Amino acid sequence: MPDTLDRTIRFGSNSGQPMTRRDGIAKVTGAATFTADNTPDNVLHAVYVPATIARGRVTSLDVAAAEAHPGVTHVLTPANRPHLHGDPEAKPTMFSFRIEVLQDDTVRYAGQPVAMVLGETLEAATEGARLLAPTYEMAPPRVDLDRAEPYDVEPGGFGRPTGASHGDIDAGHRAAVKSVDVTYSTAPQYHNAMETHAIVAAWDGDKLHLDVPTQALSMSCAAYASFFDIPVENVTINSPYLGGGFGSKAVPIGPNILAILAARMTGRPVKLMLTRQQMFGPTGHRGATRQRLRLGIDEDASLTVIDHDSLSETSSFDDFHEPAAGASQGLYAAGALRSVHRGARLDIGTPGAMRAPGEASGSAALECAMDEMAEAAGMDPLEFRLKNYAETEPGTGRPYSSKALRDCYLQGAERFGWAGRPLAPRQMRDENGLLTGWGMGTALFPCPMFMAEARATLRADGSALFETSAVDMGQGALTALAQIAADSLGLPVDNVEFRAGHSSLPDGGVAGGSGHTATAGGALHAAGSDVIRQLGEMAAADPASPLHGAGNASFVARHGRLYVDGDDSRSEPFADILSRAGGADLVGSGSASRPPETAAQYAMYSHGAVFAEVKVDPDLCQVQVTRLVGAFAAGRIINPKLADSQLLGGLIWGISFALHEEAHHDPVTGRIVNADFAGYHVPVNADVRGLEVLTVHEDDPHVNLLGIKGVGEIGIVGTVGAIGNAIWHATGHRIRRFPIRIEDLLKA
Amino acid sequence: MLYRPESLDAALALMAEPGAVLLAGGTDVYPALRDGMPPDRMIDLTRVADLRGIALADGTWRIGGATTWTDIVKAELPPRLAGLQLAGREVGSIQIQNAGTVAGNICNASPAADGVPALMALDAAVEIAGPEGLRTLPLHTFLKGPRQTDLQPGEIVTALLIPDGPGRGAFLKLGARKYLVISIAMISAVVEIGAGKITNAAVAVGACSPVARRLTALEAQLTGATAADIPALCAKADLSDLSPITDVRASADYRGEAVPTLVARTVLTAMEAPHVA
Repeated sequence: MPDTLDRTIRFGSNSGQPMTRRDGIAKVTGAATFTADNTPDNVLHAVYVPATIARGRVTSLDVAAAEAHPGVTHVLTPANRPHLHGDPEAKPTMFSFRIEVLQDDTVRYAGQPVAMVLGETLEAATEGARLLAPTYEMAPPRVDLDRAEPYDVEPGGFGRPTGASHGDIDAGHRAAVKSVDVTYSTAPQYHNAMETHAIVAAWDGDKLHLDVPTQALSMSCAAYASFFDIPVENVTINSPYLGGGFGSKAVPIGPNILAILAARMTGRPVKLMLTRQQMFGPTGHRGATRQRLRLGIDEDASLTVIDHDSLSETSSFDDFHEPAAGASQGLYAAGALRSVHRGARLDIGTPGAMRAPGEASGSAALECAMDEMAEAAGMDPLEFRLKNYAETEPGTGRPYSSKALRDCYLQGAERFGWAGRPLAPRQMRDENGLLTGWGMGTALFPCPMFMAEARATLRADGSALFETSAVDMGQGALTALAQIAADSLGLPVDNVEFRAGHSSLPDGGVAGGSGHTATAGGALHAAGSDVIRQLGEMAAADPASPLHGAGNASFVARHGRLYVDGDDSRSEPFADILSRAGGADLVGSGSASRPPETAAQYAMYSHGAVFAEVKVDPDLCQVQVTRLVGAFAAGRIINPKLADSQLLGGLIWGISFALHEEAHHDPVTGRIVNADFAGYHVPVNADVRGLEVLTVHEDDPHVNLLGIKGVGEIGIVGTVGAIGNAIWHATGHRIRRFPIRIEDLLKA
Repeated sequence: MLYRPESLDAALALMAEPGAVLLAGGTDVYPALRDGMPPDRMIDLTRVADLRGIALADGTWRIGGATTWTDIVKAELPPRLAGLQLAGREVGSIQIQNAGTVAGNICNASPAADGVPALMALDAAVEIAGPEGLRTLPLHTFLKGPRQTDLQPGEIVTALLIPDGPGRGAFLKLGARKYLVISIAMISAVVEIGAGKITNAAVAVGACSPVARRLTALEAQLTGATAADIPALCAKADLSDLSPITDVRASADYRGEAVPTLVARTVLTAMEAPHVA
């Protein structure tokens, strides 16, 4: 494929290759050490007691019974919990939430920790926790979003999304010759990474060592340090592997703070691992939404207005509003656009960022509303979207740094076989009589960059070491990043040792927002480039080098040799240059972030188009998603195998969102009644088939030096709407509540 | 204390002291404990001689109480018991089927027990050993309600007894996903056919009443029916014995609407007749 990027970017042998993940064997053999695999000598096991009501206060705890149980060493309650320097109601970092650390006896949501028991064994601590048998004074829980009192969300950073507005909204509504006014619901969902939250905390004086899965090592160190009034450099975090994070493992949760407190109090290491049931409480979730979409079109089927109002749930004590209406910003050309967020307080744990926060839920509603608008216009849904294709960012008029969405539409449609789709619903049946429908949705995801640093060391033998506290959540980041690192030195990846996942390393930034490969990768590339620069200076100044005197030329590195750029006759192996200089390691450093001027100049998004086929049993209304084709343009793909895997995972989560995932609250206690994997459904293998991902070639000279946009989250976006629209096309029924349940189709 | 008796007499002797909990596959006992301590006295029946296995004698299939669902799925059984084998494949997951037992499934007495409709359609009886000796009673009498059985203190279910016979069985399960799911409804049917017509039919429905029920009125109507008659007969079947509820898995209305369709498909499958969807 043509590569139009600046040729000073030394890419070639590693990036773009479908490498198998480097840690694969360690993981499948069990050699990879996850947090809960650490059991230090003299460890105490911690188990906390989750509240079984959603609102009220704890009136009693049978501390004596718990303490009397053999093996129980300590019981922490609000009455004896040691002093915590940091205010649990404060938020130490921009991504933090208020937390529950036994500050008092109030219960703000079911699943909140109300006590913690320490024991010599996990079994003893577990039984001690059970013996505490809390009693409560219960107030009526508020867990029904439809009965809550909405308020306007005041924009204020993370969790308090800014709306957007451009054009004359009223005029847009008035100008519409056809319009839709529909409200879509999305359900509360819980991250439920396979690895539940866990921590092993150990103090050495005022130094704190943590084994804990985190998506952001440096930021986590700062947050933990602030709670315990110690310098940030006194906190060490080891987080080599995560068994999934999805946004839930980016910030400290209350139970982790309690475990660290317990370790300090006892002078012994403390280990805590949440049970699956405890993952439905203090670890964040995707808040439920009610989204009203009002769209209008003119005679020409051009959108005159997109008016997106999202009501989202948050806790009674903190704000995280699913930024769902944001999904309407930046996608379709419309004369006028308004996106508004409203909130409602419920007796639930505070929601948080969950894979594609806002984009997944917002696009579910937007893409279905677009389908309804296309139906009203009498147009094919793809044709309608192409008709309203935005050539520049709506509202701002900024150019897109790159936008291959049209190619996504066309290549995806071609692969799916979209042509010839009947406009009207309920027109297709398969050979077994199943109602068959096709739907589509557009995917949009921003391309943020954060800040990251890296260090590169070229060794005398010509091999290299790269270091950054990057995070592999299971998606293969460390493999893709090693490919980038190797390319920066022109080395085969097998000659590159890569160290990550430890806070003593240069700050690898945040694995979130689909920006980790771009950001940490950029830092690695810069570090390698720094080595090459130094190596070039050494060689150019060395009369014994074939590169002597080439000081004004630039150098490129290939296959362990340094070349004068544009003159392949002049080159020398790295090892020879280093050897003559005394054989010492050569160390380079680099960092990456996005220059503010670039950020201001361009609109930067990944794009995609998802096409779905569903089959619906005409009598029982069971839905099967039989085919999903997603075509995505996400800039440079570093590792096609891993990127496909990420995107496929997104498509599967889309199925889950559309048809399965929903937490149900008991209206009496406020407790989640399906808080385990028997009751909280995700698709099983038999529900998933016919998935296909295409990555559309896209060169982006602006998004960052390496042209990387990110693939972590966009796979969910667009998929939910595509499935909902396919169900309409199969059955003629618009179900405006996700997940779509079989009985919804029966009643429709 | 966990006891592992190797004879039925030894197990019964252990049961003489009250408060003991019987354990076979443990696939219901352990999850029900959540994080709690196990009971003080547990009696593991999986080492009791002759409690596991499937045998035909004197016109009756005897399935030992500790027979696992995998044992049933893999056994060479006549077509009449095909519904039971299909049900076995839907009990939890393969790992659950490897451990969970047929007696455990009925003693747990879940309204959504996948094994129960199939056993009911086969006119299964429950063999129970106790201090007074053996007794036998029909499965529908043994099951008294959700989590309630006729099992008395000191008693152990030793076997399920199923009359041998002609005909073919079938089983259909409806869940909110394809596998590893608690049933919304499940149907088992056994039909005997002569000259293209049903000569005898048994149909049982699970997860739509406190205890799975046979549809006896429909069974009578099915006698003499051909495959072509089945959809209409099932569509107007008397379902008044069922009392489906709304729960997390599905609404009562949906269950009520789905049952006639499921019954028709199950009967047609047992007749080896093609059907739509």
